[in-house]
Amino acid sequence: METILVLTHTALSNETGADTGAALTRASLEAMTAGKELAAQLSASLTIGIVAPDSVAASAAASSLASAGARLLAVSGEPFAQPRYASDAAALEALARTANASIILAPASARFARVAAGVAHRLGGFIDTHITGLQIGTAPGAESIEATRWFYRQRVEAVLTRDVRPWFLLLDAGTHAAFAGESASAQVEQVAAQIPALRTTVSGLRSPAQGAQTIRPDAKLLFVAGAGWTKKQLDGQAHAPEAGDLILAFLRVSGASLGSSKSLVDQGGEGQPVLPFLTHLNQIGQTGSTPRHAKGLSTCCHGEEPHVVGWRFIAQRRAVSLDPNCGWTRGKADVVYVADAFQVMAKLNALLEAAKA
Amino acid sequence: MANAVHIVVCAGIVPDPLQTLEPITGPNGPGLKNEMVLPAVLDPWAASALYEAANLAAKNPGSKVWLVSLGPKAKLQQVMMTAAQKVPFELVPIDGPIGGFPDAHSTAAVLAESIAALPGLDRDRLLLFGGWESATRGAGVTLQLVGERLGITDQFYGVDQIDLRDDGSFEVLERVEGGKHQVSVCAGTPAVLGWATGNLAEPRNNPQTGMANMRTIMPALQKARPATLAPNGLRYVSVSLPKQQRTTRVVKDLTPDEIAAELVEWIGAE
Amino acid sequence: MSVESTTAPSPAPDLDRQTMEVDIACAGFGPAMGGFLTTLTRAWSENPADPAFESKAAPGMPLQVLCYERADDIAAGVSGVVTRAQGIRASFPGLNPAEIPMAVEVTHERVLYLLDPIGASRRSLTLRAADRVLRALGPLLGARDHAFELPWTPAFLQKHGGLVLSIGQFNQWVGSQLMATGLVQIWPGTPVSAPIFPDAAGKDGPAEKTVLGLRLADQGVDRFGTPADGFMPGMDVRAHLTVVGDGPVGAVSQSIDQTLGLPQGHAHREWALGMKMVIELPEDSPLQPGAVWHTFGYPEPEIFGFLYVHPQRLASVGIFVPSWMSDPSRTAYRYLQHYIQHPALWRYLKDGILRSWGAKSLEESGKRGEPFLAGDGYARIGESSGSTNMLTGSGVDEAWTTGTQLAEAVVELLRAGKPFTRENLAATYETRRRASWVERGAREAQNARNGFHGGIVKGMIGMALAGLTRGHISFQAHIPPAPKQIRPMSSRSAARLKLKNGAVLALENGRPLHDALLTARGWPEIAFDGRLLVTQQDALLMGGKVQAMPGFADHVVFRDRRLCIACEEKTCIAMCSGQAITEGADGVPAFEREKCVYCGACLWNCAQSSGGDRSNIDFLAGAGGLHSAEN
Repeated sequence: METILVLTHTALSNETGADTGAALTRASLEAMTAGKELAAQLSASLTIGIVAPDSVAASAAASSLASAGARLLAVSGEPFAQPRYASDAAALEALARTANASIILAPASARFARVAAGVAHRLGGFIDTHITGLQIGTAPGAESIEATRWFYRQRVEAVLTRDVRPWFLLLDAGTHAAFAGESASAQVEQVAAQIPALRTTVSGLRSPAQGAQTIRPDAKLLFVAGAGWTKKQLDGQAHAPEAGDLILAFLRVSGASLGSSKSLVDQGGEGQPVLPFLTHLNQIGQTGSTPRHAKGLSTCCHGEEPHVVGWRFIAQRRAVSLDPNCGWTRGKADVVYVADAFQVMAKLNALLEAAKA
Repeated sequence: MANAVHIVVCAGIVPDPLQTLEPITGPNGPGLKNEMVLPAVLDPWAASALYEAANLAAKNPGSKVWLVSLGPKAKLQQVMMTAAQKVPFELVPIDGPIGGFPDAHSTAAVLAESIAALPGLDRDRLLLFGGWESATRGAGVTLQLVGERLGITDQFYGVDQIDLRDDGSFEVLERVEGGKHQVSVCAGTPAVLGWATGNLAEPRNNPQTGMANMRTIMPALQKARPATLAPNGLRYVSVSLPKQQRTTRVVKDLTPDEIAAELVEWIGAE
Repeated sequence: MSVESTTAPSPAPDLDRQTMEVDIACAGFGPAMGGFLTTLTRAWSENPADPAFESKAAPGMPLQVLCYERADDIAAGVSGVVTRAQGIRASFPGLNPAEIPMAVEVTHERVLYLLDPIGASRRSLTLRAADRVLRALGPLLGARDHAFELPWTPAFLQKHGGLVLSIGQFNQWVGSQLMATGLVQIWPGTPVSAPIFPDAAGKDGPAEKTVLGLRLADQGVDRFGTPADGFMPGMDVRAHLTVVGDGPVGAVSQSIDQTLGLPQGHAHREWALGMKMVIELPEDSPLQPGAVWHTFGYPEPEIFGFLYVHPQRLASVGIFVPSWMSDPSRTAYRYLQHYIQHPALWRYLKDGILRSWGAKSLEESGKRGEPFLAGDGYARIGESSGSTNMLTGSGVDEAWTTGTQLAEAVVELLRAGKPFTRENLAATYETRRRASWVERGAREAQNARNGFHGGIVKGMIGMALAGLTRGHISFQAHIPPAPKQIRPMSSRSAARLKLKNGAVLALENGRPLHDALLTARGWPEIAFDGRLLVTQQDALLMGGKVQAMPGFADHVVFRDRRLCIACEEKTCIAMCSGQAITEGADGVPAFEREKCVYCGACLWNCAQSSGGDRSNIDFLAGAGGLHSAEN
């Protein structure tokens, strides 16, 4: 019989939930759903562990999870107000030891991704990360939990299982619905963590120095700029400043998150015109990120495989490209508009601005 | 020499990112078709870590950089022909399996053992570097596990910057949600830093650096110790290529106005 | 020439240029260098402590042998070949092809004459008449799929007992063994920009036919070679012996030929572009590993083709577009797509997947392009030393063998304690080469292709005569410099009309003129399937996997912009394998370094020249290119 522990943490100022007043991060609530579903499938007992900056926040978080009917554990206190390896590892270790769980689910947030492997090791357990799906194995013999995840930068999909415990599974964001239950008063057990002498202090968050904040993980739309924006246009000249203006204007009116192809962010090194607000943080694809958005709009990008693997979790995809044979046309996008993105974006911005006004 | 650091960079080798990959399942579990034939490169994130390590070592006299790499000896040799030209380091090769499918816990155990046995390594001055994830397994756990095995509890992931201060403390920028960096200050070594891309450009190929490195690389490769990796109960149920072929509508005859109007409607729709 | 009149890089300042002294510096790692280093290290390994192999450059150290390769990886070779492997097997007597990925013994050979099933091929009246006869007799002659199989493979073409190889994999196999010896170093990603000649003042010794080493390419420069961020001047590697094996378009080979000249009557005038795909055959493919097909007649009469079957359902399929195909709009990529769709091939290739793609210039002058094989401090090996045999269509084995011959000579000189002078190299290397099968073959082949300059039929007859008489009977020919072999656009009115139609089509679709021109001539549009039939840009990324490291200057240079502006043919654009050369806004073609596959076709596909054999395009040293290991 499995015992399931779901690890959660309260929202920091940079995470979803903080602005909406929710006690826990959205990713934590998604992991909560995964844990509840798995516990039901396996008829397993469910425990929830909460990491919070103080007991009030821990109680609030516990209340929001009360309807799950699970055992609630919390580690709270000032050392846990900021994410840090030594303190977070101590917190998760204490929660896991108290829960004595065989399966430990946690969101793959920056905070938990930093420490979960170390905690698994301390418990003599094992870990798999970036899980995008959980199911019960149908193979003959004992019931097994099967986890789906990607290898080789989203290019190979694998289903794996382990017969050793405890088994930590870190779930990628967006793979489960966020848990939503009636808030109620809940009994939360405070767990004490053995914190070592702390040698690291967290001083806060810093936005990339260059220009406007362009990465918005919560946006519905991902806008991707390809290398074509800074190349010579139909008149034989490059128009990088105009390209930059059009892109920033679009981000402003649409609230979209900005992604880029590798070739565009790499161009700085080649002495070519660049878009100053782009950094490697914007890069989508095999050597960049694989964000999750409902929709994605690609512009001036060839749509080749190394880039498109970064679109794995973009549900609806459209592209504007001058090349009628670009990669997007071959089953990678839903719609490809063969057109000059400079013209289309100018019109699109005007329409969106008019609609806003 | 107050800030002389000993930097150990854990860096795997991965198929050149431009290659076409196709999974196959053999008697020893999953792998890639023609994996030994595909050209390999140093893992891109680990390569960032190596360049940052070299940069840090150059700025802090008395520092030293080791590169610990686990992979088939022949492939390591091939990759070193390029990597060795970039920055000075001492190679610590471990002759083991290629690819992303072996268990990270086993890899970490082998790496930790090799690092602990490094002659001349001052563990109090240790900065353990690596990529925050690999381009093969992409798990982002190996470095933490090595750190734990070496007893290091100051660990940072998705690192883009380190500033080593005169008093031995250092400031670290880690990537966190929302395209932001978390800023931390650590009192000093030892620490683990899993690098994202950092801010350094890929160094130029320097033939003299290459030659200097090669003096130690070839003997090290010849003596590379073999390692087998235990599966730790890990079993692959299936390994496959994603099938995501869409039916693409190619629109060639609309004016920019018409396209913009269609896009507005699409963006607004739920 | 003023700065404005050329796109040539400005020479970088010589400040802070590092210098290193070694015993043997090698330019280019291909089959010839593989043969050289394999033979050298083998002799050395017999007794690593042999004082003959002590360094003179660094006393007390072992011999310092360094090889610099332009490509990013030594596996990034560009050729699927069939070779008799006479020289390769001599180096590896117990060779088991299974040890080399993609290698297999030749099991079956056929020669096919391909008819034109479309009717767009530019066939002469004679050829059309002959085709009509063949079609009429087709059933009797066993014709199938618009193709006639020759009842036998002429002896000079036979590769029986030889090997089908991927040069990328072969290079990697050889290179790994060499590096594992620890005796030599091979550095990929390191282009050599030029040989070091003695300076004019003569302080470096006698100036005639002397090379002092290799200068590596500058890094951290902009596209014009001007120092930029991270500027690192290319190092001077001074060597007691410089081994030049950087291929027919290699910067060192070209520079030596231009500076020191060629033997009387020799010139590099005959070229071909080989372009091929590596195709994963359908699962039910009946083609057996080791099968070798040679074809001629289609897509144009001048274009020869091939299909070699590797193990694991892989095939190399490609064409050769020769310099004597005078059409200025010759375009290899489009022709290759029509070629693989010929019914005789398509029957087997349909439902295949493009795994890899690449292109390479072949120096087809052979013996007639042979340079001085050695001088003071240097020796030439491989294709750029004129070793390719154009009668048998074989170059790899010959190149390998010239490398082994030089290595034997070097070992002899080292053991005798003699310096690498012109006389000593002539007495050891050149003598070995002249007495070998490579030389005999080169002599037999040297006039075999003359007939092609008088038309395809005459060419085939000439080749057969030379082949059957071992070169004793052949046609004589005057072969003009490569730029003059390109027919001027304005010479034929019918062509002008088609050009006009093509231009309209090109404008409408925004595609390259040469591509539109083929459509205007009646070639059907390619039905892209995204698997095997893909656009040229996709071939770069999916098949060719092309990449360029930043920080290097443009290596394709338009020497005199005025000639480019006045040029109507712009064959450089049509024949650019990577579409890296495109129409420029000001009449001078534009070059994109990151798309270049280093085929070097632009060098001899330029119709302009300011005199002599040299065209208006310079092809210099540069990094990057193909990242495919299956080529």
